[in-house]
Amino acid sequence: MTNDAESKPSRALALLRPLTRWLTPAVLIEIGVIALLFMIGFVISENFRTVDNVVNIFEQTTGLAFVALGQTVIILSGGIDLSLDANIALTSSLLSGVVNGRAELAAPMIAAVLTIGLTIGIVNGALILVLRVHPLIVTLAVAAIVQGITLLYTLMPIGGMPDGFDMLAFGRVFGIPIGAAFSVFCFAVVAFVLAYLRPGRQIFALGGEPAAARLVGVPVRRVILFVYGLSGLLASLTGIYLVSRLGVGNPTGDTNYNLASITPVVLGGTPLTGGRGGVLGTLLGVWLVQTLNNVLNFLDISTFYQWMIQGLIIIAAVSIFIDKRRRAA
Amino acid sequence: MSTAASATPRFRAPGAGAFIERNGLFVFCLVLTIGAALFAPGFRSPNNLQNVLTNAAPLGVVVLGQCLVILVRGFDLSVASVMATAAVIATSFDETTNWSVVSILAVSLLMALVVGSVNGYLVTRRKVSPFLATLAMMIVLQGVRFAWTKGAASGRVPELIRVVGSQAVYGIPINLLLLLVLALIVGITLQRTTFGRKVYMVGGNPRAAELIGINVERVTFSCYVLSSALAAVGGLVLVGYVGSVDNWVGRGYELNSIIATVMGGVSLAGGRGTVFGALVGAFVLTEIFNIALLLGFPVQFQWVVKGVVILLAVAVYLVGQRSR
Repeated sequence: MTNDAESKPSRALALLRPLTRWLTPAVLIEIGVIALLFMIGFVISENFRTVDNVVNIFEQTTGLAFVALGQTVIILSGGIDLSLDANIALTSSLLSGVVNGRAELAAPMIAAVLTIGLTIGIVNGALILVLRVHPLIVTLAVAAIVQGITLLYTLMPIGGMPDGFDMLAFGRVFGIPIGAAFSVFCFAVVAFVLAYLRPGRQIFALGGEPAAARLVGVPVRRVILFVYGLSGLLASLTGIYLVSRLGVGNPTGDTNYNLASITPVVLGGTPLTGGRGGVLGTLLGVWLVQTLNNVLNFLDISTFYQWMIQGLIIIAAVSIFIDKRRRAA
Repeated sequence: MSTAASATPRFRAPGAGAFIERNGLFVFCLVLTIGAALFAPGFRSPNNLQNVLTNAAPLGVVVLGQCLVILVRGFDLSVASVMATAAVIATSFDETTNWSVVSILAVSLLMALVVGSVNGYLVTRRKVSPFLATLAMMIVLQGVRFAWTKGAASGRVPELIRVVGSQAVYGIPINLLLLLVLALIVGITLQRTTFGRKVYMVGGNPRAAELIGINVERVTFSCYVLSSALAAVGGLVLVGYVGSVDNWVGRGYELNSIIATVMGGVSLAGGRGTVFGALVGAFVLTEIFNIALLLGFPVQFQWVVKGVVILLAVAVYLVGQRSR
């Protein structure tokens, strides 16, 4: 009898365990803040209250979502990638520049651009392994080279895409934006890999305790190449999305994704030291940032104050809840 | 990283590694300079050399501060924002008398004190990673600056700041002299005072430093404040050279100063390296830009050259460190 009584709640707990693993304090706080922002939005503006606007917010998360996902995986492994803007500059300008309105070139160029993005990432990883220098320095140096190549190719946005290419950004299936839905799909795939497959475990191991990870036989080279390659690939996806959204690539590299991609990661409770955290927090972080921007726009607050608020939010996020968890750990 | 290095021992002539470690960047700098003097048209001209030195001075001033912060295992991404804010302050005083420079300097240093204190507080007391703390400060300060200037900074740079930033006496740029004085002060402080020793100890092994009674938090905090103060001075020097102000004075200096410091042999792991090395890093970086321009490459090509040379310099320099 007693056995039975004890096992029932424990079995229920066992079923809940995966859920509790996902619902970290950071994730709960993010959900709370997003809910709060929505309430504020509902109060201040009738236009905020439309389904259209909510779908719009979702749609606008796409670009940031891809790069933030890549950045999360890299930060989990203990590194950082500051070559995202350069990667986006090269891939987006090449795509619109080469295709130049010719529909038959669109598909092969997308494949080519994805390969280029992947290659930039792998070069990052390889150089980090060969030079054994801090990823910050390596990815910045690679970024400088890639940015230079981009500007040698073109100084101005050039070319264009065939009609219908904006489907990727603006297209809807049953009212759901295609690009944004695909970004959520990517998050789901990476979340699955991180939680259940060997490469995922190895990424956490390497980020958590590099020396120990080496000793237990984590293939460090493969993991590093994998995470940087993934980040490069995802950055080129953002490049493609931006071309689809704006109709043309942006060679200047001032898209500011290098630093913007770090905000959602940190909001999601993944510390820069690596080894802890996850992608769900990042996804919610991306939504939080975009909802906040949307609400601030409705409040008619200028970009200048939006910057201040964004900075203060980063400070609040890292100095309040991450600090507590670090003390607890 | 070090475990991997020790796990794969390599054969090397004794002393070669140590020699490169101690002199890698100087050798690199020398080779670069001689190569440029031989092959780059116009590099040798006194005018150009003076130009390189004038250009390197603002970066050098910022590098001094960056070096301090990196020595205590941090880095400071807010320096460029501090520079631009100091530049905006410099042009916000209407009087054109030289006395306004005193108030400019005072207000700039006060601003730097606030920024550095917040950075230091976040890093030491709230245990925020330096990357995020200084990044957030950079963004906040950027917002404050744009709100203050309503997006378009304007105004005259006072004469004295212009003279210091761009003139030369007996062929030696004044801003270079200023840099040398500041470098001497920082260098002597690091090598010859207890505070300097504490900085190296805190960077080398914070736990041990704590155990022997060093106030780790206070030392780290001081380094962030000093970094911001030096960045403010660097901003004033730079705006004096440029001669006009906008909201992005000093853009790129945050990363360039980190790159120069690391190229100069100051380890991002903290506790190793000298101000002298970091300054050589700053000069090499400036020289590289200059050479790329002189060789007639399109301006865009500077980016490529910069990336390649950073990788090259870091690779050459770190060969020595790894062989130990």
